[in-house]
Amino acid sequence: MEQNSIPSTKVQRAMRFVKTGAQIGGNYIKHYSKKMVDPSLSKDELHENNANDVYNALSELKGSALKVAQMLSMEKNILPRQYTNKFQMAQYSAPPLSGPLIVQTFIKAFGKTPQEIFDTFEMKASNAASIGQVHKATLGDKQLAIKIQYPGVAESIKSDLKIVKPIAFRLLDMNEKELEKYIKEVESKLLEETDYELEFKRSIEITEACKHIPNLVFTNYYKAFTSNRVLTMDWLDGMHLDDFLKTNPSQEIRNIIGQAMWDFYDMQVHELKAVHADPHPGNFLMQTEGKLGVIDFGCVKEIPEDFYLNYFSLLIPEIMQSATTMRNIMLQQQIITVNDSERTQQIITDAFTKMTTLLRTPFDEEEFDFGNNAYIDQIYALGEEVSKIDELKKSKEGRGSQHALYINRTYFGLYSILNVLQARIKTGIRNWKKPLIEYHLTKLN
Amino acid sequence: MKAKLIQEYIHYTLEHNNTPQSVYLFAKSVGISEQEFYNHFSGLETLESEIYQTWFEEAMNKCTTSSPWNDYSAREKVLAVFYTFIESLKPNRSFIKFLKERDFKSLPKWPAYLNGLHHSFMSHLKPILNDGIASTEIAERKYIDTKYADGLWLNFLFVLKFWIDDASPAFEKTDAAIEKSVNLAVDLMGKSALDAALDFGKFLFQNK
Repeated sequence: MEQNSIPSTKVQRAMRFVKTGAQIGGNYIKHYSKKMVDPSLSKDELHENNANDVYNALSELKGSALKVAQMLSMEKNILPRQYTNKFQMAQYSAPPLSGPLIVQTFIKAFGKTPQEIFDTFEMKASNAASIGQVHKATLGDKQLAIKIQYPGVAESIKSDLKIVKPIAFRLLDMNEKELEKYIKEVESKLLEETDYELEFKRSIEITEACKHIPNLVFTNYYKAFTSNRVLTMDWLDGMHLDDFLKTNPSQEIRNIIGQAMWDFYDMQVHELKAVHADPHPGNFLMQTEGKLGVIDFGCVKEIPEDFYLNYFSLLIPEIMQSATTMRNIMLQQQIITVNDSERTQQIITDAFTKMTTLLRTPFDEEEFDFGNNAYIDQIYALGEEVSKIDELKKSKEGRGSQHALYINRTYFGLYSILNVLQARIKTGIRNWKKPLIEYHLTKLN
Repeated sequence: MKAKLIQEYIHYTLEHNNTPQSVYLFAKSVGISEQEFYNHFSGLETLESEIYQTWFEEAMNKCTTSSPWNDYSAREKVLAVFYTFIESLKPNRSFIKFLKERDFKSLPKWPAYLNGLHHSFMSHLKPILNDGIASTEIAERKYIDTKYADGLWLNFLFVLKFWIDDASPAFEKTDAAIEKSVNLAVDLMGKSALDAALDFGKFLFQNK
């Protein structure tokens, strides 16, 4: 399936959804008329027809609507992996800003044109950012990178979400209230990404806390040239993952860079309890001598304490051994609910145990080789298997806490990057398990 | 003195929530004689029509003296004019709103108080478009290319109305409206599939 033409206006996008809605309606009619003739017909064929139409609609969408659909589908495993992968890199795609609009944005933010502020300013963008573009400038002996956002992105995200909601209810077969919490989570994160002043604040906080980690480099940010739609920082050298790999880095360098990335996430998750939740390759710059540059703190997920205490306990074998503790955690994480039958609870718990056992493998040993492709394939395969469990498919409730949306995505992204990097990582350096084990022990007694 | 009278006129209108009803009343409030007024304007309508025109000339001046202007393509020049002019209207938004409420119905008609602006707009935009035609950025089309400026004028009236009704923070939506509508307008003026289609149609017609 190709993403050839992208419906770009709101009307077009809405039309696309209406069309899909009508098709799904048609599928139901087809299903029930067939069922009158053949009462033994199951709903599977119907689901398949619906799914096909939904994929076709999604592949033509870009922008935040797609991002939402993608996040939600990852959570419920409604899309087969091939599609999820395809959508992973999907971003809000804004058209490029014209020269005069850049000048206008600067005048509104700082009362001056970029030519008046900087010694040089390249009017041609050097990079497209997700919701804007990056320009190169110089001031004195400093090389700067300036990120400028397209006007009205926040508004456009809000209207995109209004469009995606009705179809999402249908597509995920969830009730409105259940779905709402996920939509809210995604919406708030997407809107946060449009606020460059917030990104400025977070960049400084995370940079300060993580700058001691070896081989990790950050950039300086400039408050004086930052507004809600303009963010100014020092230009950071380095290559994106693909280009970096073309230079044939040695295994040692790969390990060093991978380790820096691992330590960076360890620190954020277990100390800061706030994490750079957008680990896609565009946000990392790799330098051939073995340094990792981190940019773009637009998407930061703050991890609530009670969520932390339970979610990460699922990665600790000692804790999972106790059936009572396991059940409590599953309930807290809203993976099972008290309304589920005992059988359903058991089936879901078993599936999740199987999944987390696999996902925690890198944490079980002191060292783990992410270059092991068989391991990554196993994760994909298990994901597909879980998505086929009837108890999960038929569930009208959203399974899993809304906070898990971005944390899952973070680890999924981290594992994939480390896999592509073929890095061997010392995963057991930080002892984060002990406090969690103690927490659950005291809870039992 | 002209500039002062325009300033007084705006002030009077905002204070009284109505435009001056006669030259006599207006001159009296400014503290000059009616005769003195006529030295500068032939009547209140002329004065009104010169308000927007003055603002536009100021904005044009600002545009053409800014550093990137000479490097801009025709498209960017048109965009810059739109952005700069709309931005320069901000301090007088209340007055502009008042005039719009009084008299600014549906496009493509425009009220008399925009006539002066129309005149200036055309005389500044036409050379920009002609430069664009010379550099082939804009397509030369017989009979049609003389209408390009009129098209942009309508585009401008749309943007002006959009801005007056815009309630988004920092008028961000107006920026997007300018960016999108001007790009579309200039795209339409450029060589496009349409020209190729017309050319092909002509060929078929002549050779069947």
